[in-house]
Amino acid sequence: MQKSFIIKRIIYAIFIFFVVLTLNFFIPRLGVDDPAERYYPPQGNMSDIEYEIIKQVTREQYGFDVSTFKQYTNYVEGLLRFDLGTSFRTGNPKVSTLIAERLPWTLVLSVSNLVISLCIGLIFGTVAAWKRGRWQDSLLLNLSTISVALPAFFIALILSFYFGFELELFPAYTNPNMVSQFDWSWEAIKVVFFNAALPIISMSIGGIIGYSQRTRNSVIAVTNEDFVLTARAKGLSQNKVLFKHTLRNAMLPIVTAVGMSLSGLIGGAVIIEQIFNWNGMGTLFLEANNTNDYPLMMGIMLFMSTIAILANLIVELTYSLLDPRITVGEKR
Amino acid sequence: MKVLKKVLRKILNSLIGIGLFIGKIWKHKKGKIGLILVALLAFVAIFAPLIAPFDPYDVTERAAKGLSPSWEHLLGTTINTGQDIFSMLIYGTRVSLLVGLVTGIAIAFLGAILGIIAGYVGGMADNLIMRIVDIMLVIPTLPLTIVITNLFGKSYFIIVFIFVIFGWTGLARVIRSLVLVLKNSNYVKASELAGGSRWHIMTKHILPGVSHLLIMNTALTCAGIMVAEAGLSFLGLGDPTAISWGKMLAEAQSGGALLFGHWWWIIAPGIGIFIAVFAFMRIGLVMEEILNPRMKASSGIFKLFKTLNNTYIQEVFDGMNEEVLTTKEGEIS
Repeated sequence: MQKSFIIKRIIYAIFIFFVVLTLNFFIPRLGVDDPAERYYPPQGNMSDIEYEIIKQVTREQYGFDVSTFKQYTNYVEGLLRFDLGTSFRTGNPKVSTLIAERLPWTLVLSVSNLVISLCIGLIFGTVAAWKRGRWQDSLLLNLSTISVALPAFFIALILSFYFGFELELFPAYTNPNMVSQFDWSWEAIKVVFFNAALPIISMSIGGIIGYSQRTRNSVIAVTNEDFVLTARAKGLSQNKVLFKHTLRNAMLPIVTAVGMSLSGLIGGAVIIEQIFNWNGMGTLFLEANNTNDYPLMMGIMLFMSTIAILANLIVELTYSLLDPRITVGEKR
Repeated sequence: MKVLKKVLRKILNSLIGIGLFIGKIWKHKKGKIGLILVALLAFVAIFAPLIAPFDPYDVTERAAKGLSPSWEHLLGTTINTGQDIFSMLIYGTRVSLLVGLVTGIAIAFLGAILGIIAGYVGGMADNLIMRIVDIMLVIPTLPLTIVITNLFGKSYFIIVFIFVIFGWTGLARVIRSLVLVLKNSNYVKASELAGGSRWHIMTKHILPGVSHLLIMNTALTCAGIMVAEAGLSFLGLGDPTAISWGKMLAEAQSGGALLFGHWWWIIAPGIGIFIAVFAFMRIGLVMEEILNPRMKASSGIFKLFKTLNNTYIQEVFDGMNEEVLTTKEGEIS
């Protein structure tokens, strides 16, 4: 791989980052004339002069008293020091602290979702591809149609109704003490497991079928390649052909798919988190939106975009390393 | 008069074309069910006031709160307001179909125009469009949607707008790669040599070449958009005065359907979403099989998953992989 290619890609990623950062800064400001007014809505028992003073204090406190351009440069300057800004919440916590608090809880859901979807999806997909055209394959095809048409949040509601309220096997709402009382003890881990079970299941149904479909298509594509035909012609056993020749090569697109889904891991499933009252990034963003907490919203969005850009970059670079068939520097 | 005749003939021709195409889908054994369902949904949406036994907006029925399904109230009533759930379900069809169709068609237009320009004109235009695509793909869609609806008010107009802004990127990229292939075909080369203008080539030669992809994609996009719309409505980002399936689910959750065991209140809107999405997907997949017989039905779902996942490189590489897949399958069958 040429060095110039890597450098080009990195510079391009930085360029995209700055564009996204700028959009991120200006879009939340589009419809708002005075952020202080949004933050501190007028109250009935207050005279105009008092309100003006309060707004002025608010502006100074959050750095809205300077021109928009100065605010923008301040924001970028802060980012260079890895400072995402200060939240409007009481106590004015740093945005980065809030994200760091919530991120692990979102990762609990999203990482286990990814692992489950991937493991089961790989097995299903391989079986469907191997038994191509038989009932296993058509079952997968029908399931895919159904799973796209059934949104995850609907499955979540059904699960929460049946297992949470009717059978009372799992909690339908997350126990609010779960986060504050977590101390790595066996009991605490058990509580997390029980609370996370329903959200993870409802998220992973679509994921399992998605990865199965991907694996199936990828395995079939490789099965038709000449080297698999050669392996068969050599008289290798079915298992050897499947595991040594087919699966190893079929993994490449799956690896890419996993790499690309990494950026989705930190965003959290907003709707699922809301249904189960799970304290993750999704609910954090909804809270920020409901309280007009711009620094927090901007921080979360920028964080997500940055991870997406990094994931894109890493996948692009590793892919060209992994697969010699892809010529580097080819014009897209 | 002459112009009018010409326009009329064109409209008639395209109507006949659409009719023939629908006939083809009808003959396909999988397509029949999709067509029937879509026709049913359209009928229900248009004649909603005649079909619905009660006024779904009526929240004054204090005596009829939280009823179980009966012959009078087929799906019971809501717990806190006493609205008839069956009537709400019927009115919800309107939002779902309207948002899905309008967005699907708008995306098809925008994606086709930008994809063809990027692919055929190339150079600066191509660069610019593809850079915009790159940027769109790393912006988190749902958070931005939440921010924008918070700023500009909650309405389906805004939701459709956001869907179109974010939805055209995938289609434009697919169209662009197809146009790059068509660009080197003999008939385009011949037209160029004969002195055909860019506009002429793009509308008369390139557009018909990508039309099959466009039509199929529109049906699949409609299906995807309907799921997304239900999600946004569920979060309360839709028009607060309209009745939609997503909002019904949210009301069921907050109104205590889970707590009081009113499962029909949750199942009903879910089945609505399922039927609508399923019907459009079926039609899309059948269209794909008719227009591009080399492709097996499964790849269409594969594609839908891709558009839902909405990431750049994944699509490019999957596209490569899929090209291998389709040609290989074509050779075999």
